[in-house]
Amino acid sequence: MSSFSRSAQQWATFARSWFLIDARMQPPGKIASMCSVRLQGKHKPIYHPMSDIGDHVVVMNTRHIAFSGNKWEQKVYSSHTGYPGSFKQLTAAQMHKKDPTAIIKLAVYGMLPKNLTRRTMMQRLHLFTDDVLPEDILKNLTEELPQPREIPRKLSEYTQEERDAFPMLWTPYCKP
Amino acid sequence: MTRMWRHVAGVSALLCSKSGFTGSVIMVFLTLSRWIRNRGPDRYWKVQELLKSARHFRGRKNRCYSLAVRAVRRAFVYASKARKTKRHSMRQLWIQRIAAASREQHMKYPALIHNLLKCSVQLNRRALCDLCISEPRSFKALAALACARRTEGFRAALGDGSHPPGVFSRITQPITAQHG
Repeated sequence: MSSFSRSAQQWATFARSWFLIDARMQPPGKIASMCSVRLQGKHKPIYHPMSDIGDHVVVMNTRHIAFSGNKWEQKVYSSHTGYPGSFKQLTAAQMHKKDPTAIIKLAVYGMLPKNLTRRTMMQRLHLFTDDVLPEDILKNLTEELPQPREIPRKLSEYTQEERDAFPMLWTPYCKP
Repeated sequence: MTRMWRHVAGVSALLCSKSGFTGSVIMVFLTLSRWIRNRGPDRYWKVQELLKSARHFRGRKNRCYSLAVRAVRRAFVYASKARKTKRHSMRQLWIQRIAAASREQHMKYPALIHNLLKCSVQLNRRALCDLCISEPRSFKALAALACARRTEGFRAALGDGSHPPGVFSRITQPITAQHG
């Protein structure tokens, strides 16, 4: 890095990177907070709120996000256009069915700073429902970020030996 | 002379009637030329001194004295209040930058600061911010030092008594947990 010329070092420092996040089986809030940090540029030591140093973030598999708890039925997204009688409330499940990228988009929008740069940062967020990405975005990607949540294995994914080796905490009652 | 006296008396009567004071008053100005008031001789320069602070304002505030006086006073008040907020916002920016740099080194900002304090590294946030931008390897070394100090208890209890590589300290014996 120290062998770069001054202009090359400047270019490398202020270049915009493209990050990839796989949202399969991940909580959308954690994904959104990772996105918002990188869109603002807060992951860089040269951060300043006035200098436009955010990066691009590409999120794939937004259709397969996983809310914890009962949020699919209990979390409500409300909207009002201002006209009388147009107050709409949708549960997270209904919202997701209508538009699979809306949950993450709204989450990131709420986490960004509430100023005029927010819209520019949202334009740098690219959401895709599945893992099929267009060519031009694939060419731009520089780094994949690790997933925030470790995906637990299903019971069917454990081998019989692992199941037998698991300590027995109590003997289940079986009717004779 | 008598003509001047009469003139003066007439004028004084007029003035007294206007102000509502009805008494016999003799005004001091004996000739017409002495009615001319001579105020401060340097008004032009005083006005210019104020307007020079207002030249970059928008609208008539940068030209007209009465409007400029109010605008300049507000500007100076804002400048005074901002001196304190400048210090506050500079510190906030340093903390954000140090947090970003320490997350690059797999540490969090509170852990870094607390452990550097425990190692009695008395670098303030301004110095740490300058280091993390212009001396990244020095900052990496500081982060390693803080990480080593942070895990000292764990290593004493669970480790094999060896020191982490690359971290200099005054401890020369192997680390053992000192429990009673």
